[in-house]
Amino acid sequence: MTILAGAPRTSREGLFERVIAMLDMVRSIPDDLSDEESEGVIALMPPDVAETLEGFLNPRVRRASIAYLKMIGKWMDEAREAKETGKKVILVPFNFVPELIHAFENAVPLTSEVLTSLGAGAIEGKGHRYWDYAMGLGIPDHLCSSSTIELGSMLTGQDFEADAIVSSTAGACDANSKIHEFVAHYLGIPQFILEKPVDDTERGREQFRRNFYRLVSNLEEYIGEEISEERLRDVVENCNRAAELHYQLWELKKNVPCPVPNLFSFFVYGCRFTMWGRPEAVRCMEVMVEESRRRLEAGEYPAPRELARVGWLYVGYYIDYNGLFNWMEEQGYSYLFDVLDLFFPDPIPTDSRETMLDGVCEAARRFPMTRQMGADSMSVAWIDDAVHMCREMNANCGIYCGHHACKQTWSVISIVQKELMDRIGAPTLCLQGDAWLSGMTPMSRLQGDIDEFMKNVVIKRRRVHRPLR
Amino acid sequence: MTVTTSALEEAVRVSEAVENEYVKRWKEGGGQVVGYSCVTTPPEIIDAAGLLPYRIRALGNPNTEIADAHLARFNCSFCRSCLQLGLDGTFDFLDGLIETNGCDHLRGMFENWQYVKPVAFFHYVKVPHQTTPEAMEYYTEELRLFAKALEAGFGTKVTRPKLKKAIERQEAVRSKLREVYAMREGDAPSFTGTEALSLFLLASAMPADDYLALIDRVIDERSGTGITGYRARLMLCGAATDELELIGEIEDVGGLVVTDSLCYGARAFWKPIRTDLEPIEALAELYLKEMLCPRMYEDFPRRRDFVIDEVKRAGVDGVMVMHNKFCDVHGVDNVQLRLSLEKEGIPVLQLEKEYGSKADIGRIRTRVQAFLERIGDRS
Repeated sequence: MTILAGAPRTSREGLFERVIAMLDMVRSIPDDLSDEESEGVIALMPPDVAETLEGFLNPRVRRASIAYLKMIGKWMDEAREAKETGKKVILVPFNFVPELIHAFENAVPLTSEVLTSLGAGAIEGKGHRYWDYAMGLGIPDHLCSSSTIELGSMLTGQDFEADAIVSSTAGACDANSKIHEFVAHYLGIPQFILEKPVDDTERGREQFRRNFYRLVSNLEEYIGEEISEERLRDVVENCNRAAELHYQLWELKKNVPCPVPNLFSFFVYGCRFTMWGRPEAVRCMEVMVEESRRRLEAGEYPAPRELARVGWLYVGYYIDYNGLFNWMEEQGYSYLFDVLDLFFPDPIPTDSRETMLDGVCEAARRFPMTRQMGADSMSVAWIDDAVHMCREMNANCGIYCGHHACKQTWSVISIVQKELMDRIGAPTLCLQGDAWLSGMTPMSRLQGDIDEFMKNVVIKRRRVHRPLR
Repeated sequence: MTVTTSALEEAVRVSEAVENEYVKRWKEGGGQVVGYSCVTTPPEIIDAAGLLPYRIRALGNPNTEIADAHLARFNCSFCRSCLQLGLDGTFDFLDGLIETNGCDHLRGMFENWQYVKPVAFFHYVKVPHQTTPEAMEYYTEELRLFAKALEAGFGTKVTRPKLKKAIERQEAVRSKLREVYAMREGDAPSFTGTEALSLFLLASAMPADDYLALIDRVIDERSGTGITGYRARLMLCGAATDELELIGEIEDVGGLVVTDSLCYGARAFWKPIRTDLEPIEALAELYLKEMLCPRMYEDFPRRRDFVIDEVKRAGVDGVMVMHNKFCDVHGVDNVQLRLSLEKEGIPVLQLEKEYGSKADIGRIRTRVQAFLERIGDRS
């Protein structure tokens, strides 16, 4: 295979290895890093890495960040070890239940969008070279960078390669489904599809269940192992514990000002998409709850007042964590949730293998993006969730990130924007940019747009119409 | 003085109108018209309900001013163009609208259409992206529900005999289109690509019986005639292309389009329907299992093989793969297709374009001219 100019030349230059090298450094950081030590660590890093670490090591979020990065380090180590020990590495998209793969003794999940997010935020060059490689093959520039950056790295043939792909975006996202198909075909690795019918009737649910059980049996055959009830129970019990903690965080977020730092939203779904079902995710969630409680009791909030409570209607931006999440709360704008937080986990009965698999299946059906864009009507399902969450969280505005590749959300955002205003009086800011490519719209421009919207629309409206509780 | 018009001229003229004279006559006679867009919608079921199936088209309409207030610039311009015609009243003659989840843009188009200007009858046929036994069962049931919805909405009955009759009628139409395509295979094809597209478009915009009468005249008229003097024989692949003008431009610079695997083209009629199955099962088989659309996420090898076979069958010199900007399903599939065809030594031109854009025509002409230079000159 010909490597294009600018493409990585050795496996050490692939996205996976570069992210894991960055995490290797984090692993040596003590859990109780002091401010002085934190400054020292940041000073040693190249600029792109330093920028992200500065955000992650901010005293407000430091403890949770270290727990999160250590969890991610463990998750990636397991993928690397799996390769060495003959286990299967299954590449999964963000809208797939990783606990299903954790239930196998001989397989591990690797989530492409999480790797991309780490790369886009935390490695030098922000993952652009892998995107460029994919573009060099002719992949259209309107594809989704969240998957294409990591998969572009795999396409070079010089990076860590998964053994198989699970594609669970059929029904909810063409862009992802097509790149999964392309990569599987290009690399000659198997692809297993979990399709969510665009049908939320009982028949549609049953069809999803049939598709899910077919996937389980296909994976069992491919991995060469039947999921054991005992191992599945361990996994599900951890899922249930993490779900409890998830709802505790939700409750904490209802306080004004919000005691849950903005960045925790990202960490929560980072847990959900990687180590859900494992003790490491439970521990990370516990740290976030503990920190948020402590901040509530201490009355800590980074701005003099909470000026706006924001529901991000789809995804956020992952090109500059400090510049978005931390900056917002320093202005008094609380990032209460984005769509990736909306996975609404139910407790899963652990009575039998079937009750547990049914529970995991239902969790998969209700995953972010699957539940909205894979619904009978994209706009209706999305509006229902957005209205419900804005009410629950007392959000007084919405922001749509306008990620270029999200054709399905772009196609109905005008309806969502109007309905959100009509039903709960919440105005929505529509931004434009790429959530994972920093070269598209700079963070400074996004900050400017957000600030202008808050000052000219949200805060003025709040004074007149709708005071925060 | 009496001016005699050939059957082909008549067909081309009629195909250039969205609400053509046959549709008007059908409506004047008390008939009702049901619009659908995606090639996974069986018109046979609409036909069996006594309604006129009409495939939504934009015919290269470049104006999207009203639609752009609803869909975004990141949505494909074909869907924006169709929505425009839906909202500006051009499609007011439709009594019903059938949505399918053909692609993300199409879903958005239907949702906005129904949100802004609801059509009296609306039904959503949910089409799986796989052909597993479970998917086939689900889709077969979807088609049954589709028939029931039409019965309830229009107070009609889709009986087994009516469905069989409609299948025969629509299969006769498809068979004639296959005949038209076969007449393009020889060294001196009987139709240009533009004429063939007109004949295709007409097939899904008028009553089948009228179409069969007209197409027979066209075929008779063109039998034994042939086009010569072209520079190269081209095959078109890719996204929704009902742009007569675009194909005219390609042919204007010397490339003769002799076959395709387009959504508004061969993809809709290439395979005869099976007669050994129950009608509804035969439709499910034809419209899902045999579907050559990149919305099916496991079927690339079948799509590739179809194109390679067509290249051989129609003596194609070069393949043009096109997609409308922001079309993910064709945008990615076209890359795979280009790589595969190049491996087979087949010249390929991959084009990304804006639907119906006059501004894009000059660029496309240049690219096609360069491609023709590259693949040689038959003339």
